[in-house]
Amino acid sequence: MASLLVRDRALPQDPRVVEAALAAVRDSGGLSPVERLEIYREQYWLRHTASLLEDFPGLSGLLGQRDWERLVEGYLGVVRSPSWTLRDLGYRLPEHVERAEWLPHRELARDMARYEWAIIEVFDAADAPPLDPAKLAAVPPDAWENARLELVPALALLAVEYPVAELRASLRERPGSGVALPARRRECLVIHRDAELSVTRRVVAPGAFALLVALADGYRLGEACERAVEREPDLASEIETKVGEWFTEFGSLGWVANVDVGSRLGEDV
Amino acid sequence: MPPRPPRVPDLGVGIGLRVPHYRAILDERPPVDFFEIISENFMVRGGKPRHHLELFAERYRLVPHGVSLGIGGPEPPCREYLTELKKLVRRLAPPWVSDHFCWSGVPGMHLHELLPLPQTREVAALVAERARVVQDFLEVPLALENTSSYLEFSSNTLTEWQFVSEVADQADIGLLFDVNNVYVSATNHGFDPLTFISSIPVERIFQIHVAGHTNLGPVIIDTHRGAVVPEVWDLYAETIRRAGPISTLVEWDEEIPELPVVLSEAATARRIRDDAMSRIPAPLPLRSTSPP
Repeated sequence: MASLLVRDRALPQDPRVVEAALAAVRDSGGLSPVERLEIYREQYWLRHTASLLEDFPGLSGLLGQRDWERLVEGYLGVVRSPSWTLRDLGYRLPEHVERAEWLPHRELARDMARYEWAIIEVFDAADAPPLDPAKLAAVPPDAWENARLELVPALALLAVEYPVAELRASLRERPGSGVALPARRRECLVIHRDAELSVTRRVVAPGAFALLVALADGYRLGEACERAVEREPDLASEIETKVGEWFTEFGSLGWVANVDVGSRLGEDV
Repeated sequence: MPPRPPRVPDLGVGIGLRVPHYRAILDERPPVDFFEIISENFMVRGGKPRHHLELFAERYRLVPHGVSLGIGGPEPPCREYLTELKKLVRRLAPPWVSDHFCWSGVPGMHLHELLPLPQTREVAALVAERARVVQDFLEVPLALENTSSYLEFSSNTLTEWQFVSEVADQADIGLLFDVNNVYVSATNHGFDPLTFISSIPVERIFQIHVAGHTNLGPVIIDTHRGAVVPEVWDLYAETIRRAGPISTLVEWDEEIPELPVVLSEAATARRIRDDAMSRIPAPLPLRSTSPP
């Protein structure tokens, strides 16, 4: 906060602002009207940049202070806070990173921004008790074809080109210590809020991921398998043979909220 | 001493509920009369914020205090925001809910700042009308807080104390009287804080805030950092002497210290409050109507 009076003054350099300030703000001695207005501009800047820094520690650590500040300044110049909570401020930062052609390691930075925004979304997503795995096991075999699996709200599916989850953990453990940037390595991540309410991530097989994406899109199991094969044609046999195993795993990990087989599970299944 | 407003109780002395203190509060269960929560932090769909809300609500009285109502903005308060706030209010059943005399954005853009309002009769009437609507919608008494400010508008025709009093009277709402904000604004604008205190309808004060600030020399910034300064404690004592026992809250939001430090500030508030109460003159005995 002590920087309030020593930072570069942006407002006094703009004659329109000076004129408006002199007209609208009372000159009551001490600071000039422009200096008084400048306090609010600084407060706005500090509050917004602090919020983004808190929400995107991996991205800021990856970029370093100079590039992070340039990125954030550009972002706040074009994106308006859309809601009454600063929690939503970074909603377009992944897209902004993607467009920032000047950024070094842009694809890695984009993946990191997407990953960190997914964490924010999962952190306070709606509560939903996971389905009891015993109930999942009780679904009659002939009902699976048309069953619709509802994933819990606190879950995000993210395919990335770099192992950003590991990198983020390293950057947070050793900030400013020159963490080595990883090589490209495609990962399919499931970001989930667990029973302890902690946000965790798990790397899943591409076939399982394709199936989860189709289920999240609302397809029934039979259709979801077809969609998954369309997305990962080389993994068709794996998807076919492992689907049962994956379902058991999804259920035990608390990723499934309900199975709709025409009637609510637990009522008359 | 003026009569206490019948619709809000005196909750005693509380502190702001802040994340760094969660563990200590849950483990140690310190005797705190009430906690004030930032409403918006708990107006979420689920996860840890909701979980913690339940934990604390089971153990303590919680009073929601918002920062995003924007009662004096270009548009009326957002209906979606009010709907979410009402859910929180219904969950907590607080004796009142509060926000600020300010504006916080323009259509399509939230500024997340408590910006000062032009102090005119027209703006007072607008804010009063909206405050009345908000209070009716939330179905709980509403209090608005005087903010710290760093500028005054040339168009002001009312002092700040005239403005907040006029709104409170017109809307029939309460005041959240922030003594530190009075001190900050008085210093920044060169008025006597005692004039502010002696000019507002004290019977409308639902709650008092005290906090630290950052003195940069030419200007004081309302940072809620550090201990309450002696001058603010003096103003607090004067407010209690004038208004009687009023729920008091210590705010500390930057460089938040360990819980015992904040609790120590609350203990100071309690001591000053008790001392000020003891100095309130007893009511004069009724004059005898019988002939000598």
